[in-house]
Amino acid sequence: MNVRGSHTMEAPRAVVFAAICDPDALLGIIPGCREIEQVGDAEYRGQISLRLPGVVGTYRTVVRLVDSDPPSYGRLEGELEGTLGTVTGHATFRLAESGGRTTIEYEGQGVIGGPLARLDARFAEGLAGSLIKQGLRNLGSRLKADPAAGTPSDHRQPTREIPA
Amino acid sequence: MTVRTYLLPRSRPEALGLLGAHGPELLVMAGGTVAMPLINEGISLPEAVMGLRLAGLDGLERAGDRLRIGATATLTQLLDQDAVPMLREAARNTASWSIRNMGTVGGNLFTPPPGGDVAVALLALDASVTLASTRGERVLPLADFMTGFMSTELAADELLIEISVPIRGEPTAYLKLGRKHASTPSVVTVAARLEWRDGRVADARIALGAVGPHPIRAAEAEQLLVGTRLDAEAIAAAAVAAAQGCEPFTDGIATDWYRRRMAGLFVGRALEQLAPGAAGEGR
Repeated sequence: MNVRGSHTMEAPRAVVFAAICDPDALLGIIPGCREIEQVGDAEYRGQISLRLPGVVGTYRTVVRLVDSDPPSYGRLEGELEGTLGTVTGHATFRLAESGGRTTIEYEGQGVIGGPLARLDARFAEGLAGSLIKQGLRNLGSRLKADPAAGTPSDHRQPTREIPA
Repeated sequence: MTVRTYLLPRSRPEALGLLGAHGPELLVMAGGTVAMPLINEGISLPEAVMGLRLAGLDGLERAGDRLRIGATATLTQLLDQDAVPMLREAARNTASWSIRNMGTVGGNLFTPPPGGDVAVALLALDASVTLASTRGERVLPLADFMTGFMSTELAADELLIEISVPIRGEPTAYLKLGRKHASTPSVVTVAARLEWRDGRVADARIALGAVGPHPIRAAEAEQLLVGTRLDAEAIAAAAVAAAQGCEPFTDGIATDWYRRRMAGLFVGRALEQLAPGAAGEGR
Protein backbone atom coordinates (compact mmCIF):
# COMPACT_ATOMS: atom_id res chain seq x y z
CA MET A 1 0.00 0.00 0.00
CA ASN A 2 1.39 3.38 -1.04
CA VAL A 3 0.08 6.81 -0.19
CA ARG A 4 1.33 10.24 -1.15
CA GLY A 5 -0.06 13.71 -1.34
CA SER A 6 0.16 17.29 -0.16
CA HIS A 7 -1.94 19.77 1.75
CA THR A 8 -1.61 23.49 2.41
CA MET A 9 -2.49 25.12 5.74
CA GLU A 10 -2.85 28.73 6.88
CA ALA A 11 -0.12 28.55 9.53
CA PRO A 12 3.68 28.87 9.80
CA ARG A 13 5.50 25.57 9.55
CA ALA A 14 6.94 25.72 13.08
CA VAL A 15 3.37 25.73 14.40
CA VAL A 16 2.36 22.91 12.05
CA PHE A 17 5.37 20.81 13.03
CA ALA A 18 4.70 21.35 16.72
CA ALA A 19 1.05 20.30 16.27
CA ILE A 20 2.11 17.08 14.55
CA CYS A 21 4.18 16.21 17.64
CA ASP A 22 1.56 17.28 20.19
CA PRO A 23 -0.71 14.49 21.55
CA ASP A 24 -3.39 17.04 22.46
CA ALA A 25 -3.50 18.27 18.88
CA LEU A 26 -3.29 14.77 17.42
CA LEU A 27 -6.27 13.64 19.48
CA GLY A 28 -8.40 16.23 17.76
CA ILE A 29 -7.14 15.78 14.22
CA ILE A 30 -6.68 12.02 13.68
CA PRO A 31 -10.01 10.65 12.41
CA GLY A 32 -11.56 8.37 15.03
CA CYS A 33 -8.78 8.90 17.58
CA ARG A 34 -10.19 8.17 21.04
CA GLU A 35 -7.05 8.41 23.11
CA ILE A 36 -3.38 9.10 22.61
CA GLU A 37 -0.40 9.52 24.90
CA GLN A 38 3.27 10.20 24.53
CA VAL A 39 5.24 7.30 25.99
CA GLY A 40 8.77 8.34 25.07
CA ASP A 41 10.69 11.26 23.63
CA ALA A 42 9.26 10.55 20.20
CA GLU A 43 6.86 7.64 20.67
CA TYR A 44 3.09 7.78 20.86
CA ARG A 45 0.48 5.13 21.64
CA GLY A 46 -3.19 5.50 20.97
CA GLN A 47 -6.52 3.97 20.14
CA ILE A 48 -8.51 4.69 17.00
CA SER A 49 -12.11 3.67 16.31
CA LEU A 50 -13.10 3.76 12.68
CA ARG A 51 -16.68 3.50 11.54
CA LEU A 52 -16.61 2.99 7.80
CA PRO A 53 -19.35 1.77 5.47
CA GLY A 54 -19.71 -1.94 6.23
CA VAL A 55 -16.59 -2.08 8.38
CA VAL A 56 -16.17 -1.02 11.99
CA GLY A 57 -13.27 -1.63 14.31
CA THR A 58 -10.97 -0.34 17.02
CA TYR A 59 -7.23 -0.31 16.51
CA ARG A 60 -4.30 0.15 18.84
CA THR A 61 -1.53 2.17 17.30
CA VAL A 62 2.11 2.93 18.06
CA VAL A 63 3.89 5.67 16.13
CA ARG A 64 7.53 6.72 16.46
CA LEU A 65 9.17 9.84 15.05
CA VAL A 66 12.43 8.15 14.06
CA ASP A 67 14.10 11.03 12.30
CA SER A 68 13.38 14.73 12.16
CA ASP A 69 14.77 18.11 11.21
CA PRO A 70 12.27 20.54 12.78
CA PRO A 71 10.39 22.32 11.36
CA SER A 72 10.94 20.99 7.86
CA TYR A 73 11.21 17.21 7.86
CA GLY A 74 10.13 14.12 9.74
CA ARG A 75 10.09 10.37 9.30
CA LEU A 76 7.53 8.21 11.08
CA GLU A 77 7.30 4.48 11.65
CA GLY A 78 4.30 2.79 13.14
CA GLU A 79 1.94 -0.10 13.59
CA LEU A 80 -1.83 -0.36 13.69
CA GLU A 81 -3.38 -3.48 15.16
CA GLY A 82 -7.00 -4.59 15.63
CA THR A 83 -9.41 -7.45 15.05
CA LEU A 84 -9.43 -6.80 11.35
CA GLY A 85 -5.68 -7.10 10.99
CA THR A 86 -2.51 -5.08 11.12
CA VAL A 87 -0.88 -2.31 9.18
CA THR A 88 2.87 -1.73 9.52
CA GLY A 89 4.40 1.18 7.73
CA HIS A 90 6.57 4.22 7.51
CA ALA A 91 6.12 7.70 6.12
CA THR A 92 8.09 10.86 5.52
CA PHE A 93 6.78 14.40 5.47
CA ARG A 94 8.29 17.72 4.42
CA LEU A 95 7.00 21.15 5.36
CA ALA A 96 7.58 24.17 3.12
CA GLU A 97 6.52 27.67 4.16
CA SER A 98 5.55 30.47 1.82
CA GLY A 99 3.86 33.71 2.85
CA GLY A 100 2.81 32.36 6.24
CA ARG A 101 1.23 29.27 4.68
CA THR A 102 2.66 25.78 5.03
CA THR A 103 2.49 23.00 2.48
CA ILE A 104 3.04 19.52 3.81
CA GLU A 105 4.12 16.85 1.34
CA TYR A 106 3.90 13.26 2.53
CA GLU A 107 4.71 9.85 1.22
CA GLY A 108 4.32 6.49 2.90
CA GLN A 109 4.25 2.76 2.45
CA GLY A 110 2.37 0.18 4.47
CA VAL A 111 2.04 -3.60 4.64
CA ILE A 112 -1.39 -4.95 5.53
CA GLY A 113 -1.91 -8.26 7.33
CA GLY A 114 -5.01 -10.21 8.39
CA PRO A 115 -8.54 -9.89 7.01
CA LEU A 116 -7.87 -6.29 5.93
CA ALA A 117 -5.33 -7.65 3.45
CA ARG A 118 -8.23 -9.09 1.43
CA LEU A 119 -9.28 -5.58 0.56
CA ASP A 120 -8.50 -4.54 -2.98
CA ALA A 121 -5.37 -2.33 -3.05
CA ARG A 122 -7.47 0.51 -4.48
CA PHE A 123 -9.71 0.31 -1.42
CA ALA A 124 -6.85 0.18 1.08
CA GLU A 125 -4.98 3.05 -0.55
CA GLY A 126 -8.17 5.02 -1.08
CA LEU A 127 -9.12 4.66 2.56
CA ALA A 128 -5.65 5.49 3.88
CA GLY A 129 -5.39 8.53 1.62
CA SER A 130 -8.85 9.66 2.62
CA LEU A 131 -8.11 9.39 6.35
CA ILE A 132 -4.82 11.28 5.98
CA LYS A 133 -6.51 14.07 4.02
CA GLN A 134 -9.27 14.28 6.62
CA GLY A 135 -6.66 14.50 9.39
CA LEU A 136 -4.77 17.28 7.60
CA ARG A 137 -8.01 19.18 6.95
CA ASN A 138 -8.76 18.87 10.67
CA LEU A 139 -5.27 20.16 11.49
CA GLY A 140 -5.66 23.08 9.10
CA SER A 141 -9.05 24.00 10.60
CA ARG A 142 -7.70 23.71 14.13
CA LEU A 143 -4.70 25.94 13.43
CA LYS A 144 -6.83 28.48 11.58
CA ALA A 145 -9.31 28.66 14.47
CA ASP A 146 -6.66 28.75 17.16
CA PRO A 147 -3.20 29.70 15.85
CA ALA A 148 -1.68 28.86 19.26
CA ALA A 149 -3.01 25.29 19.08
CA GLY A 150 0.22 23.94 17.70
CA THR A 151 2.52 25.82 20.02
CA PRO A 152 4.92 23.40 21.68
CA SER A 153 3.74 22.45 25.15
CA ASP A 154 4.42 19.83 27.79
CA HIS A 155 3.78 16.68 25.75
CA ARG A 156 3.81 14.31 28.70
CA GLN A 157 0.18 14.67 29.50
CA PRO A 158 -2.15 11.94 30.69
CA THR A 159 -4.35 10.14 28.22
CA ARG A 160 -7.44 12.07 27.31
CA GLU A 161 -10.64 10.80 25.83
CA ILE A 162 -12.98 12.74 23.58
CA PRO A 163 -16.20 13.38 25.51
CA ALA A 164 -19.12 11.41 24.10
CA MET B 1 -19.26 -14.87 10.88
CA THR B 2 -18.59 -13.13 14.17
CA VAL B 3 -21.86 -11.29 14.75
CA ARG B 4 -23.04 -11.99 18.30
CA THR B 5 -25.71 -9.34 18.61
CA TYR B 6 -28.25 -8.16 16.05
CA LEU B 7 -30.30 -5.14 17.08
CA LEU B 8 -33.51 -4.26 15.30
CA PRO B 9 -34.83 -0.93 16.64
CA ARG B 10 -38.51 -0.14 15.98
CA SER B 11 -38.15 3.64 15.98
CA ARG B 12 -35.69 6.39 15.19
CA PRO B 13 -35.16 7.38 18.87
CA GLU B 14 -34.51 3.74 19.74
CA ALA B 15 -31.97 3.48 16.90
CA LEU B 16 -30.17 6.64 18.02
CA GLY B 17 -30.17 5.45 21.63
CA LEU B 18 -28.68 2.08 20.69
CA LEU B 19 -25.99 3.75 18.59
CA GLY B 20 -25.11 6.07 21.45
CA ALA B 21 -25.00 3.18 23.92
CA HIS B 22 -22.91 0.81 21.80
CA GLY B 23 -20.52 3.38 20.37
CA PRO B 24 -18.56 3.35 17.13
CA GLU B 25 -18.07 -0.45 17.12
CA LEU B 26 -21.74 -0.98 16.30
CA LEU B 27 -22.10 -1.70 12.60
CA VAL B 28 -25.13 0.09 11.21
CA MET B 29 -26.78 -1.68 8.32
CA ALA B 30 -29.70 -0.60 6.15
CA GLY B 31 -30.19 -2.80 3.06
CA GLY B 32 -26.98 -4.72 3.69
CA THR B 33 -25.81 -4.58 0.09
CA VAL B 34 -22.53 -2.91 1.12
CA ALA B 35 -21.96 -4.59 4.49
CA MET B 36 -22.98 -8.19 3.86
CA PRO B 37 -20.47 -8.97 1.08
CA LEU B 38 -17.69 -7.64 3.37
CA ILE B 39 -18.96 -9.74 6.30
CA ASN B 40 -19.39 -12.86 4.19
CA GLU B 41 -15.87 -12.52 2.82
CA GLY B 42 -14.44 -12.16 6.32
CA ILE B 43 -13.18 -8.63 5.70
CA SER B 44 -15.63 -7.09 8.16
CA LEU B 45 -15.94 -8.82 11.54
CA PRO B 46 -18.50 -6.86 13.58
CA GLU B 47 -19.64 -8.25 16.92
CA ALA B 48 -22.81 -6.14 17.00
CA VAL B 49 -24.97 -5.09 14.07
CA MET B 50 -27.95 -2.74 14.08
CA GLY B 51 -30.42 -3.20 11.23
CA LEU B 52 -32.48 -0.12 10.34
CA ARG B 53 -35.16 -2.03 8.43
CA LEU B 54 -37.90 -1.40 11.01
CA ALA B 55 -36.72 1.96 12.36
CA GLY B 56 -39.32 3.94 10.42
CA LEU B 57 -36.82 5.69 8.17
CA ASP B 58 -38.22 4.45 4.86
CA GLY B 59 -40.72 7.20 4.07
CA LEU B 60 -40.78 8.89 0.68
CA GLU B 61 -43.10 11.85 0.29
CA ARG B 62 -43.52 15.14 -1.46
CA ALA B 63 -43.52 17.99 1.04
CA GLY B 64 -44.15 21.33 -0.65
CA ASP B 65 -41.39 21.93 -3.16
CA ARG B 66 -39.15 19.16 -1.86
CA LEU B 67 -39.02 15.39 -2.08
CA ARG B 68 -38.24 13.92 1.34
CA ILE B 69 -36.58 10.53 1.10
CA GLY B 70 -36.08 8.48 4.25
CA ALA B 71 -32.56 7.10 4.48
CA THR B 72 -33.76 3.50 4.27
CA ALA B 73 -36.21 4.03 1.40
CA THR B 74 -35.20 1.47 -1.20
CA LEU B 75 -34.02 2.18 -4.71
CA THR B 76 -37.18 0.42 -5.89
CA GLN B 77 -39.23 3.07 -4.06
CA LEU B 78 -37.42 5.73 -6.13
CA LEU B 79 -38.72 4.03 -9.27
CA ASP B 80 -42.28 4.55 -8.07
CA GLN B 81 -42.12 8.34 -7.60
CA ASP B 82 -42.56 10.86 -10.39
CA ALA B 83 -41.71 14.13 -8.63
CA VAL B 84 -38.03 13.96 -9.67
CA PRO B 85 -37.62 12.06 -12.94
CA MET B 86 -33.80 12.01 -12.75
CA LEU B 87 -33.95 9.94 -9.56
CA ARG B 88 -36.13 7.38 -11.30
CA GLU B 89 -33.63 7.21 -14.13
CA ALA B 90 -30.72 6.87 -11.68
CA ALA B 91 -32.44 4.07 -9.75
CA ARG B 92 -33.30 2.26 -12.96
CA ASN B 93 -29.61 2.31 -13.90
CA THR B 94 -28.40 1.00 -10.54
CA ALA B 95 -27.70 -2.70 -9.97
CA SER B 96 -30.46 -5.28 -10.49
CA TRP B 97 -34.09 -5.65 -9.35
CA SER B 98 -33.11 -7.84 -6.40
CA ILE B 99 -30.45 -5.40 -5.20
CA ARG B 100 -32.73 -2.39 -5.74
CA ASN B 101 -35.34 -4.09 -3.57
CA MET B 102 -32.79 -4.24 -0.71
CA GLY B 103 -30.39 -1.37 -1.34
CA THR B 104 -31.37 1.97 0.16
CA VAL B 105 -31.03 5.57 -0.98
CA GLY B 106 -29.08 6.39 2.20
CA GLY B 107 -26.82 3.39 1.73
CA ASN B 108 -26.07 4.50 -1.81
CA LEU B 109 -24.36 7.60 -0.38
CA PHE B 110 -21.87 5.32 1.40
CA THR B 111 -21.23 3.00 -1.54
CA PRO B 112 -17.64 3.31 -2.75
CA PRO B 113 -17.04 4.10 -6.43
CA PRO B 114 -17.71 2.81 -9.02
CA GLY B 115 -21.00 2.40 -7.09
CA GLY B 116 -23.14 5.27 -5.89
CA ASP B 117 -25.03 6.06 -9.10
CA VAL B 118 -28.03 7.51 -7.26
CA ALA B 119 -25.70 9.74 -5.23
CA VAL B 120 -24.47 11.25 -8.51
CA ALA B 121 -28.02 12.28 -9.40
CA LEU B 122 -28.67 13.60 -5.89
CA LEU B 123 -25.52 15.73 -6.15
CA ALA B 124 -26.68 17.31 -9.40
CA LEU B 125 -30.07 17.98 -7.81
CA ASP B 126 -28.58 19.96 -4.89
CA ALA B 127 -29.84 17.41 -2.35
CA SER B 128 -29.25 17.90 1.35
CA VAL B 129 -28.90 15.28 4.08
CA THR B 130 -30.18 15.27 7.66
CA LEU B 131 -27.89 13.70 10.26
CA ALA B 132 -29.20 12.94 13.73
CA SER B 133 -27.83 11.81 17.06
CA THR B 134 -29.05 11.95 20.65
CA ARG B 135 -27.45 15.43 20.66
CA GLY B 136 -29.76 16.75 17.94
CA GLU B 137 -30.00 17.15 14.19
CA ARG B 138 -28.01 18.94 11.52
CA VAL B 139 -28.60 19.44 7.82
CA LEU B 140 -25.74 19.48 5.30
CA PRO B 141 -25.59 19.94 1.54
CA LEU B 142 -24.76 16.55 0.03
CA ALA B 143 -21.74 18.16 -1.62
CA ASP B 144 -20.27 18.79 1.86
CA PHE B 145 -21.30 15.40 3.27
CA MET B 146 -19.01 13.27 1.11
CA THR B 147 -15.42 14.04 2.10
CA GLY B 148 -13.32 11.25 0.62
CA PHE B 149 -13.14 7.61 -0.41
CA MET B 150 -15.66 5.84 1.86
CA SER B 151 -15.46 8.88 4.13
CA THR B 152 -18.22 11.28 5.10
CA GLU B 153 -19.01 13.98 7.63
CA LEU B 154 -21.05 11.47 9.67
CA ALA B 155 -19.89 11.53 13.31
CA ALA B 156 -19.49 8.29 15.25
CA ASP B 157 -22.79 8.78 17.08
CA GLU B 158 -24.82 10.01 14.10
CA LEU B 159 -27.23 8.34 11.71
CA LEU B 160 -28.17 9.55 8.26
CA ILE B 161 -31.91 10.08 8.61
CA GLU B 162 -33.19 11.74 5.48
CA ILE B 163 -32.28 13.02 2.05
CA SER B 164 -34.17 16.08 0.83
CA VAL B 165 -34.32 17.05 -2.84
CA PRO B 166 -35.69 20.30 -4.30
CA ILE B 167 -38.40 19.61 -6.88
CA ARG B 168 -37.76 21.76 -9.94
CA GLY B 169 -39.09 21.70 -13.43
CA GLU B 170 -35.77 22.19 -15.20
CA PRO B 171 -34.66 19.68 -17.80
CA THR B 172 -32.08 17.17 -16.60
CA ALA B 173 -29.90 14.53 -18.19
CA TYR B 174 -28.59 11.32 -16.65
CA LEU B 175 -26.23 9.00 -18.49
CA LYS B 176 -24.37 5.95 -17.25
CA LEU B 177 -21.75 4.07 -19.23
CA GLY B 178 -21.22 0.46 -18.19
CA ARG B 179 -19.76 -2.60 -19.84
CA LYS B 180 -23.25 -3.97 -20.40
CA HIS B 181 -26.74 -2.51 -20.44
CA ALA B 182 -27.96 -3.44 -16.96
CA SER B 183 -26.71 -4.49 -13.52
CA THR B 184 -23.25 -3.20 -14.23
CA PRO B 185 -20.64 -1.11 -12.40
CA SER B 186 -20.09 2.30 -13.89
CA VAL B 187 -17.27 3.33 -16.19
CA VAL B 188 -18.58 6.84 -15.75
CA THR B 189 -21.92 8.29 -14.67
CA VAL B 190 -23.01 11.85 -15.54
CA ALA B 191 -25.91 13.81 -14.11
CA ALA B 192 -26.55 17.33 -15.45
CA ARG B 193 -29.07 20.01 -14.63
CA LEU B 194 -29.26 23.53 -16.09
CA GLU B 195 -31.17 26.63 -15.09
CA TRP B 196 -31.99 29.01 -17.92
CA ARG B 197 -32.69 32.75 -18.10
CA ASP B 198 -33.37 34.66 -21.32
CA GLY B 199 -32.03 31.86 -23.47
CA ARG B 200 -28.77 31.56 -21.57
CA VAL B 201 -27.54 29.16 -18.92
CA ALA B 202 -28.03 30.88 -15.55
CA ASP B 203 -26.70 28.05 -13.40
CA ALA B 204 -25.33 24.58 -14.04
CA ARG B 205 -24.80 21.37 -12.14
CA ILE B 206 -22.70 18.56 -13.53
CA ALA B 207 -22.06 15.61 -11.22
CA LEU B 208 -19.78 12.72 -12.08
CA GLY B 209 -19.55 9.20 -10.70
CA ALA B 210 -16.76 6.60 -10.89
CA VAL B 211 -14.14 9.24 -11.71
CA GLY B 212 -13.18 10.35 -8.20
CA PRO B 213 -12.98 9.15 -4.60
CA HIS B 214 -16.73 9.83 -4.35
CA PRO B 215 -19.37 11.41 -6.61
CA ILE B 216 -17.97 14.83 -7.51
CA ARG B 217 -19.09 18.08 -9.10
CA ALA B 218 -17.35 19.21 -12.27
CA ALA B 219 -17.06 22.74 -10.90
CA GLU B 220 -14.95 24.26 -13.68
CA ALA B 221 -17.19 22.82 -16.37
CA GLU B 222 -20.23 24.23 -14.56
CA GLN B 223 -18.69 27.70 -14.47
CA LEU B 224 -17.79 27.60 -18.16
CA LEU B 225 -21.43 26.98 -19.07
CA VAL B 226 -22.91 29.91 -17.17
CA GLY B 227 -23.83 32.76 -19.52
CA THR B 228 -23.59 30.65 -22.68
CA ARG B 229 -26.41 29.59 -25.02
CA LEU B 230 -25.11 26.01 -24.72
CA ASP B 231 -23.83 25.98 -28.25
CA ALA B 232 -21.41 23.36 -29.55
CA GLU B 233 -18.40 25.40 -28.51
CA ALA B 234 -19.61 25.77 -24.92
CA ILE B 235 -20.43 22.07 -24.69
CA ALA B 236 -17.00 21.10 -26.01
CA ALA B 237 -15.24 23.41 -23.53
CA ALA B 238 -17.25 22.03 -20.61
CA ALA B 239 -16.55 18.45 -21.67
CA VAL B 240 -12.80 19.11 -21.80
CA ALA B 241 -12.88 20.80 -18.39
CA ALA B 242 -14.83 17.93 -16.84
CA ALA B 243 -12.40 15.36 -18.22
CA GLN B 244 -9.38 17.33 -17.04
CA GLY B 245 -10.80 18.04 -13.61
CA CYS B 246 -11.85 14.53 -12.60
CA GLU B 247 -9.75 11.99 -10.69
CA PRO B 248 -10.38 8.65 -12.41
CA PHE B 249 -9.01 5.33 -11.17
CA THR B 250 -8.20 1.96 -12.66
CA ASP B 251 -10.11 -1.17 -11.64
CA GLY B 252 -11.40 -4.34 -13.25
CA ILE B 253 -13.99 -2.33 -15.16
CA ALA B 254 -11.86 0.34 -16.83
CA THR B 255 -8.52 2.11 -16.78
CA ASP B 256 -8.17 5.65 -15.50
CA TRP B 257 -7.27 6.76 -19.04
CA TYR B 258 -10.49 5.31 -20.47
CA ARG B 259 -12.61 6.71 -17.65
CA ARG B 260 -11.24 10.21 -18.25
CA ARG B 261 -11.93 9.96 -21.99
CA MET B 262 -15.46 8.72 -21.37
CA ALA B 263 -16.10 11.39 -18.73
CA GLY B 264 -15.53 14.10 -21.35
CA LEU B 265 -17.52 12.27 -24.00
CA PHE B 266 -20.52 11.63 -21.75
CA VAL B 267 -20.58 15.12 -20.28
CA GLY B 268 -20.77 16.33 -23.88
CA ARG B 269 -23.61 13.92 -24.67
CA ALA B 270 -25.55 14.86 -21.55
CA LEU B 271 -25.27 18.57 -22.40
CA GLU B 272 -26.30 17.92 -26.00
CA GLN B 273 -29.51 16.40 -24.63
CA LEU B 274 -30.16 19.69 -22.81
CA ALA B 275 -29.20 21.99 -25.68
CA PRO B 276 -31.83 24.16 -27.42
CA GLY B 277 -33.57 22.15 -30.10
CA ALA B 278 -32.57 18.78 -28.65
CA ALA B 279 -35.32 16.14 -28.53
CA GLY B 280 -37.01 16.26 -25.18
CA GLU B 281 -35.49 19.54 -24.04
CA GLY B 282 -38.12 21.34 -22.05
CA ARG B 283 -37.44 25.01 -21.72
